[in-house]
Amino acid sequence: MNTHLLSLLVLLPVAGAVLVALTGRGSESLQKAIGLAVSGATFALSLLLVAGFQDVATLQFVEQRPWIPAWGISYHVGIDGLSLWLVILTTFLTPLCLLGSWSSIEKRVREFVVFMLLLEAGMIGVFVALDLFLFYVFWEAMLIPMYFLIGVWGHERRIYAAIKFFLYTFAGSVLMLVAFLVLYKNAGLGSFDIPKLVAAPVDPALQTWLFLACAVAFAIKVPMWPFHTWLPDAHVEAPTAGSVILAGVLLKMGGYGFLRLAIPLFPDAAMRFAPLVGVLAVIGIVYGALVSLVQPDLKKLVAYSSVSHLGFVMLGIAAFTTTGVVGSVYQMLSHGISTGALFFLVGMLYDRRHTRQIAEFGGLKAIMPWYFAVFLLISLSSIAVPGTNGFVGEFLILVGSWSFSPWMVAVSSLGVILAAGYVLWMVKRVFYGEVTNPKNQGLPDLSAREAAVLVPLVVLAIVMGVASPAFTRRIEPSVDALVRQVRERSSPVRAADTVPPPARPPGEVRP
Amino acid sequence: MTGAVLDLRPLAPAAIVAVTGLVVLLTQAFTPRGKESPSAPLALLGLAAALGSVWVLATGPGRGSVLAGALTADDFSLFFHALVLGVAAITVLLSPSYLRANGMERGEYYALLLFSTVGMLGLVSSLELVSLFVALEIMSIALYGMAGLDRRRRESQESALKYFVTGAFASAFFLYGIALLYGATGSTSLVKIARSVSVLSPESLPLAVLGVALLLVGFGFKVASVPFHMWAPDVYEGAPTTVTGFMSAGVKAAAFGALLRVFDSALPALASQWQPLVGVLAIVSMVVGNLAALAQTSLKRMLAYSSIAHAGYLLTAFVAAPLVAGEAMLFYLVAYAAVNLGAFGALAALSRDGREPLAVRDLSGLADRRPALAAALTVFLVSLTGIPITAGFVGKFYLFGAAVSVGSMGIALALVGVVMSVVSAYYYLRVVVAMYMSEPEGEDTWGPVSPASAFALAVAAALTLLLGVWPAPLLALARVAARSLIQ
Repeated sequence: MNTHLLSLLVLLPVAGAVLVALTGRGSESLQKAIGLAVSGATFALSLLLVAGFQDVATLQFVEQRPWIPAWGISYHVGIDGLSLWLVILTTFLTPLCLLGSWSSIEKRVREFVVFMLLLEAGMIGVFVALDLFLFYVFWEAMLIPMYFLIGVWGHERRIYAAIKFFLYTFAGSVLMLVAFLVLYKNAGLGSFDIPKLVAAPVDPALQTWLFLACAVAFAIKVPMWPFHTWLPDAHVEAPTAGSVILAGVLLKMGGYGFLRLAIPLFPDAAMRFAPLVGVLAVIGIVYGALVSLVQPDLKKLVAYSSVSHLGFVMLGIAAFTTTGVVGSVYQMLSHGISTGALFFLVGMLYDRRHTRQIAEFGGLKAIMPWYFAVFLLISLSSIAVPGTNGFVGEFLILVGSWSFSPWMVAVSSLGVILAAGYVLWMVKRVFYGEVTNPKNQGLPDLSAREAAVLVPLVVLAIVMGVASPAFTRRIEPSVDALVRQVRERSSPVRAADTVPPPARPPGEVRP
Repeated sequence: MTGAVLDLRPLAPAAIVAVTGLVVLLTQAFTPRGKESPSAPLALLGLAAALGSVWVLATGPGRGSVLAGALTADDFSLFFHALVLGVAAITVLLSPSYLRANGMERGEYYALLLFSTVGMLGLVSSLELVSLFVALEIMSIALYGMAGLDRRRRESQESALKYFVTGAFASAFFLYGIALLYGATGSTSLVKIARSVSVLSPESLPLAVLGVALLLVGFGFKVASVPFHMWAPDVYEGAPTTVTGFMSAGVKAAAFGALLRVFDSALPALASQWQPLVGVLAIVSMVVGNLAALAQTSLKRMLAYSSIAHAGYLLTAFVAAPLVAGEAMLFYLVAYAAVNLGAFGALAALSRDGREPLAVRDLSGLADRRPALAAALTVFLVSLTGIPITAGFVGKFYLFGAAVSVGSMGIALALVGVVMSVVSAYYYLRVVVAMYMSEPEGEDTWGPVSPASAFALAVAAALTLLLGVWPAPLLALARVAARSLIQ
């Protein structure tokens, strides 16, 4: 069972998609039910990963079999501390998305469910792939369902947003493909196996180019400033489920790509470019926060806040200390929960009023008290109030990055303050004050279905805030091994002119 | 030939197809007026028999060269036999409903298709330049006729004439190239040419190089690579759609087959001379083809420019070592044939009362009206873009992988290739946008998809996905075929 568990996780949604595709046009409830059941089963199955996971750095649940032997391509999957929780995040959010879209998706339900399930399979595939070819296949294949989700079920400017999303990410990833091919040829191992390639040294001059090609692909996905311009369009125009998956999971693939591929494969170049990555991350943090501050549109505000939050992730990765990277992985998870929940909440408001303009609302606190309670709590977690999930990640990142660059930490802290500003100001305008708009009178509070979507997210936001060690102890061994390995490999003794390796920063805070 | 008995077994597939063509013509002549002659089933039967003979040749004895070494049935030619016969069979399946919808149900169509197939079979098995030229003409002349078969449409006439004039032009280049090579090496046999070009005297080297360049021009016309592509958009647009599909898949496969054989088995000694040329052709084809396709509103013109671009992708691998290049190109030609037959076939399948979808917006809302057809067309377009999990992605991966293996020039080619793939995504996706994201316009006037067409499209789509997920078996076959090329 354990040796095939990851394959099952990928194949189950695909099988579900095929099953749904075979159903007739009229049976929409059945299609939704199959979708929910299959994604629910996938989530249940994925919990076996958590149960069977050992808190060590090695790859687990590994399965490997030849696929295209002539090119040394194999079907090689496995997880470690970097990917475990990202897989769980994917399987956790997908059923919630299907449940959350139960009544808001009215046309072409069959296709919607099919694409959601295919998307899930692709996302899990990206996180478990241990072969460059396999990784690329999942990475790209996922674009198609997402493109359809935005383009078919999105809002007014959906086609523009869908094409922009597709071209942006496709452009980034094809450069990565060439980098993979050059790496394959240069390593001379006749293999696309990631662990094997990581172990093989690459010429530092070549590393620069290959790292840049991969980094652009991942930076677009994250998205890092200035590669972020596709994000507001895609997030705003996508249907709620699309926005949740985009923000919750797809963006994480960028950070994950840095940690799994770009940095370990090209350690020299990664360490050389770390200051640049750090600066871009800090710009992203502040820029995202400032732009969020002036957004009149709720969904856009949440979208730009993602740029800011993901900036923190990249800062931790640029610092590349154990604490910082653990913080980055944690921030990726908690952003998936908080921002996912925020997109759900904005979507629910949109379902009721068909507008997302902040100015249209006011005084909702009295009309929808439960909705308000959930919204406030999630908002607090988004601005990293201690006791919520957001705090743990950002704190670890800031602490872990101090040794990398104190001034970057200082400027980033500004982002934390700004976040409190734009979120609380938005909460004030939407929920407090008098009900000025008569259309808002009598809006229904959360339905049972909506509560069922939100409660798991709220619970997790708090659990991840107070019981973080349950999560970090599984992340840390892998991160620690990665950081050590990269630091050793990037500062070899082969040349006299290379600078001595930076000592591990003293006084690192253990998460 | 040293044996007393003339062994013609290697010619069996081509002979079967040729005889079937004659039978189709005769049946047509003896069918009473007002009755439909069973041309399509006969053609299918003949193609199936020919495929069977390919199978027998591939698994059993009977291989080797015949007619004083002019034609051969080695692994390479058998690989292409199977491909070309498959392309012809799928075209036959797609044809009846299209011909009926456009009022051109005539037996000549199938006879010409079969004769053209004979030419393609000869093209990929020629070991000698003159027989190669004859095969090229057999293939082309039949196609000129097919392109102009829709007599009532002026575009079809224009298409046939343009194809004929430029084709004749290309043939002249080709012949001149053969003549110069003969002058330099004293032979038209590929084996002998290979032997003499490696020991050329300084005086005859320029002659040989010029001959090679002229051959490249001739092939450039046939595979529609820039700057020898001008005919393609008009011809593709004007010809009956099923013929366009057949041309784009079959001619491209056969011409690339011959190109590979001539250059990699006879002229490897001059590789340093022709490889830069091929590299330039690849780059301009990819750039011009894709950029021009961006501006098209006509579906068939867009696919014509896309075909030019794909000739460019294929040429990128050609700079690599013969084995690597051959393997990648053979795989890609199969993938491309399935996808292009599917794409043109999907357009042809919608034809009704002399009309067919011409512009991208004619497909608006197709996903609501013909969900299965729209899904199949999406698979083909995704594969043309080169996105996993389709054959097009694996194909491009090998092509660019082969190119990268030769160093910086190959890396440059691969970079142009992937960047242009991104450009191509825009125009391919526009069709998907029309089908899935636009509302249907007006009445549903497109024809019902006939069972034969549906079957053919399903086969093409299934193959596209299967090769995308499980490419290893075909890749192994391609490797075996490519190996026979360099022996």
